[in-house]
Amino acid sequence: MTNGFSGPVAQIVDNYLGRLRKGLKGFPAQDQEELVKEIHSHIYESFRNDPTSNEVERILNVLDKLGEPSVVISTRMPSAMVTLGKKKKLPFYILAGVLIALFGVPLASGGLSLALGIIITVLALIMTFYIGAFSLIVAGWLSALVMTVRLFSPGFLDPWVNVYPVVPNPTLNTILYIIGSLLIAAMGLGLLWLGTRMMRGVRFVFRFLFDKIKKIGEARSDRAQTG
Amino acid sequence: MENKITQLRKGILELAILGCLSHGRHYGYSLVKTISGEKNIDLTEGTIYPLLARLAKESLIQSEWIESSQGPPRKYYTLTMKGKEAYQVLDGEFQKLAAIIADVRKAPDEDRSDIDLNVLSVKKEINND
Repeated sequence: MTNGFSGPVAQIVDNYLGRLRKGLKGFPAQDQEELVKEIHSHIYESFRNDPTSNEVERILNVLDKLGEPSVVISTRMPSAMVTLGKKKKLPFYILAGVLIALFGVPLASGGLSLALGIIITVLALIMTFYIGAFSLIVAGWLSALVMTVRLFSPGFLDPWVNVYPVVPNPTLNTILYIIGSLLIAAMGLGLLWLGTRMMRGVRFVFRFLFDKIKKIGEARSDRAQTG
Repeated sequence: MENKITQLRKGILELAILGCLSHGRHYGYSLVKTISGEKNIDLTEGTIYPLLARLAKESLIQSEWIESSQGPPRKYYTLTMKGKEAYQVLDGEFQKLAAIIADVRKAPDEDRSDIDLNVLSVKKEINND
């Protein structure tokens, strides 16, 4: 890496920027590059303005004034961790909401496993629902397709498909089957539609609970401060 | 004690950054030089960068890279409209607080219960965003 310095000074600067990079691991790549560039610029300007004649002594002086990489990063760390924590917090609020609403259990370590169980159950139910809807759609369309083929070449699929005659006329019978299959597919689509509606409702309930809990929390911390 | 000094500095340093930028644009190193100047304050220069990052995140300042006539490009900072307003408010607040400290310092330590004491109440605001 060329950093605008030469000889041992360049090595010292490289070492410093390397340690800075290491400290920035886990930050967005763009932020990392930006800060490294900015600190590099700082080192350059500071070096240019320092009166010390010996270059090595001068760069060490510059870096000493600048402080360790951890200083440059220091308060970014908590802020990055705060945003991380915020992202994690939301589901926990929701969990707490569900628990308090259902059982009046405050979320403690004991409640956590219970909450996990509930969440898994809800997820499983949602998944079952959607799998059901999709299989209805797939089954409906497939049988409609099979029946359409039968309509045009009645004997073609006979070795695999055994159709119970609802009406004596085979053509009419097949058409009835097609309508039935399409109805099943429509039912699947209807379930999907219902699912999105239900998810919206679930989200609404969660948001409602979340706001309630937030208010309770606020009231509590207000009381703690005045009391 | 170290911790107390750091805490005190951080808040005031932020105000100093806003104050410097209210007179014009600066890059990191020039900010450090303007703030510390010839004063005998052992400011670790690097501490300014996290503060700049935070001010930028709060949209009080904005930055752009500008080529330098010599050396690598510099990242220049300027105040945003929001930053200008924030500076006015914070500076006013700081002057009030500084006046309190000055008053307290020169107050005699005798019993002054005969005088009506204005009780200063401080309410902490919680930021829930």
